[in-house]
Amino acid sequence: MPTNRSNTRSGSLSPGYNPVMRPSFFNHLHPPTIPAEQSRWRYTLGAGGTGVFLLLVVAATGILEMFYYIPTPDMAAQSIQTITYLVPLGGFVRNLHFWSAQALIVVSAIHLLRVVFTGAYAPPRRFNYLLGLGLFIISLLLDFTGYVLRWDQGVQWALVVGTNLIKTVPLLGNWLYVLLTGGSELGLATLIRFYAWHIFGLTLGAMILTVWHAFRVRRDGGIAVPPPALRRDQRRISRHELARREVAAMLFTGAALVILSATMAAPIAAPIHDLGAMSGNARAPWFFLWVQQVLKWGDPFVLGVALPLGILFLLALLPYVLPKPASAELGRWFPKSNRAAQLIVAIVSAGLIALTIIGRLSTP
Amino acid sequence: MTEPTRRDFLKLATTGLLTAAGLVGLGGLIRYLDYESDPAHNTVIDLGSRTQYPVGSRTVLPDIPAILIAEPGGFNALSLVCTHLGCTVEQSPNGFQCPCHGSRYSADGAVQRGPARQPLRQLQIETTKDGRLLLHLAP
Amino acid sequence: MRRYLIFIGAGLLLLSVLAAWGASARGPKPVELVPTLTGKPEYCLTCHGDLPQISSSHPIKTFGCIICHGGEALALDANLAHSTMRGGANPSDLTVVEQSCGGSQCHSGSAAEDRDHIQRVMRSVQSTYSGAIASMLYTFGAQPDLTARYGMHAVTDDQITTSTGVAELQAFNAAQFNNSSVSQFAANCTTCHINAKPNEGAEYARWNGCSTCHTPQAPDQTAGTGGKVHQLTTAISYTQCNTCHNRGNYDLRTMTFVPRTDQPTDRLHNYYQPIAQFTQCEYKLDCIDCHTRTEAMGDGDIHSNKIEIQYIQCKTCHGTPTQLPQTKTLMDPNDIAFRLADLNVVAELNVGDTILVTDKGEPLWNTRVLPDGTYKLISKADGRVFIFKPVMGSGCTQDPSRQDSAYCHTCHAIQR
Repeated sequence: MPTNRSNTRSGSLSPGYNPVMRPSFFNHLHPPTIPAEQSRWRYTLGAGGTGVFLLLVVAATGILEMFYYIPTPDMAAQSIQTITYLVPLGGFVRNLHFWSAQALIVVSAIHLLRVVFTGAYAPPRRFNYLLGLGLFIISLLLDFTGYVLRWDQGVQWALVVGTNLIKTVPLLGNWLYVLLTGGSELGLATLIRFYAWHIFGLTLGAMILTVWHAFRVRRDGGIAVPPPALRRDQRRISRHELARREVAAMLFTGAALVILSATMAAPIAAPIHDLGAMSGNARAPWFFLWVQQVLKWGDPFVLGVALPLGILFLLALLPYVLPKPASAELGRWFPKSNRAAQLIVAIVSAGLIALTIIGRLSTP
Repeated sequence: MTEPTRRDFLKLATTGLLTAAGLVGLGGLIRYLDYESDPAHNTVIDLGSRTQYPVGSRTVLPDIPAILIAEPGGFNALSLVCTHLGCTVEQSPNGFQCPCHGSRYSADGAVQRGPARQPLRQLQIETTKDGRLLLHLAP
Repeated sequence: MRRYLIFIGAGLLLLSVLAAWGASARGPKPVELVPTLTGKPEYCLTCHGDLPQISSSHPIKTFGCIICHGGEALALDANLAHSTMRGGANPSDLTVVEQSCGGSQCHSGSAAEDRDHIQRVMRSVQSTYSGAIASMLYTFGAQPDLTARYGMHAVTDDQITTSTGVAELQAFNAAQFNNSSVSQFAANCTTCHINAKPNEGAEYARWNGCSTCHTPQAPDQTAGTGGKVHQLTTAISYTQCNTCHNRGNYDLRTMTFVPRTDQPTDRLHNYYQPIAQFTQCEYKLDCIDCHTRTEAMGDGDIHSNKIEIQYIQCKTCHGTPTQLPQTKTLMDPNDIAFRLADLNVVAELNVGDTILVTDKGEPLWNTRVLPDGTYKLISKADGRVFIFKPVMGSGCTQDPSRQDSAYCHTCHAIQR
């Protein structure tokens, strides 16, 4: 639709340039209309969009924490105590960062499940599905590196075991370990590297993939829908209505995050003084509890490295190997045509959730 | 003018609420950033026994930076931080001179010339019971 | 529908943000302390601001809290702040005492500068219980002589200065002896050494480590402070010693402890248990008025019996019929007597004062030799003054070669 503004310009115009249509950034992100049926909350759950919002909150609060966090083994836990107890609203900012990060993982997982259970990864969206998987992995790595930056006794298990898992990779293990930790021992170099990954390396990756993922959503034709001839409901909503829904979602999510952060504190523990002496509980962070459980059963490389990579590989292959969801059945939950994929993902998710619960309930 | 509709009121109210929330957020942000996580704590420096500084001597203390002036009536200290933009002034034949932008001070710290407008800061010297000199950096 | 959802959302957001601000403002305002010895800020006073200063020789502005107690200096959450405290509420517990009270600047390491209390206490009989263990093992055939080989904790000594000093003690473990009497000893009779958990009951209640003696008042769980006493003192009353001493007796046949059953109402009856013999000094004064630092904390050597370290006798203050007690006129202002006197407010000691000294040269800083030949003692615990005369020139028929307290008791024992 043409804009209301006067948008003729003097000066030379490049050929093909339409002086009437000058889409703004907002217009790039929001098509003029989108199908009403598939823009309902109960179809998409708003999970993808909420994920973007959570990413922005996590980044903003992370930047604020950078004003006070000191990435050295002596000062890391102390600087976090400074933020938590002494900086005005510091505890709140830290809690916000923590909760928005954990919520991001949960919401991303929900988004992944939604995409699989609605068959929305069907071509031409298969590559975007891979981008999303990549984003999910980066989010997990961001959660893990952020966790380690606490450098307190609560994270020692994850730090020692997690980095030692890399060593189990055949042939390349020791070299990868040095790459990851900056030396043959955990110490200052490790912390600096995890800091660099967390605030820049992984964040850059997350930003690039997020933008690309969002772009692909648009380029692939928006939210997955049946072709127009097969749609039951031909109604559409305007970009402004879409924006309104997004704003509402952000406001409610924001309020929930604020309340959560004001009432429940992010975990904190006494500083690590001696990396060799593991005191405190030997518990993985919640998103790796399933790995800790699985590691009890056998070879660390097979179960701790190969198995997770295998699950990732399986998820990545789904759109390419299994029967495609029929385009007539898109835009709804649990179409019949990709039952196999739904079942596989349901079983894997149930397994991971069960292992997580078992891990949470068992004594370390 | 037509009467404002419910929609207009809702829009205004929402804008108001969001503005208020934004202002609270901004206030919080300012409070958050306005914290000194590493304040200077060592504002008193032990200069040693007073016998090290005979009457009539002028001793430059480069680490502070300041100059300790031992007079018959007692001890005086001048900060050697130029009051213009903070460089360390150097001694000149009749006082002090700043190498950065050319400010000139007399021997007692008064401004003679240059972009600086305030005289060199007087620092307090305290003599302890057992004859040690303490330099107070805080005003 | 959409429109007023946004309105509600905005309202919710504003409310939650205000609630968050309110919640953060309601927390305790941090109270900072930067002790001169550490130069690092600590925030313990935020919650513990009403705790009394522990002693005038450990002023809070100099020491702060963390240097002795450990803990997280910056945390305002109780659990986190206390999580790294040494020894729980008592940093002088012998398992952590070196990090809390020790260190090269404090009470450890230098015998020459008389700053080796921790080394001495760790080897002292009161800590190691070496005498009781050696006697018991010898009596029941588990060792061939009375030389101590075991202590309540293992300890070594590579600088033996006395003829009776022992080079090492191993940790006493009853299981290795396979002897029922030894096992019963371990079960019933090991609650009275410095790092032991005392028996139940207010009469036994005390702390461990340095605080066993130096923190007054027993940790009484019914008191308002919840049993916490924040004080270090050298003015130690006899009641402190009596949390272990004079509590009862051992029955060696049954290897049990038989507590005293009397209910004393005054000092005379409270001090010693009913079977004891004692003179006027021995109950009117406090234990530390006579028993010296070396006797209580050891001389740095590992001894096999308290007899090897206890050496104070009546004659130390009273002399014998043929000899006046040893004295010393204090001319050196750096004499340790002045340091000791400074720690306790009961009496002022000045250069030029003449005081009594023990056989080993330990200064009895709370005594004075008066110009008329009499002597004065000021009680360390509460400052009561006692004037007394030497034995020489009195009607005493003491044999100068028989100086055990039993001989003095023959005439001077109190009838309760």
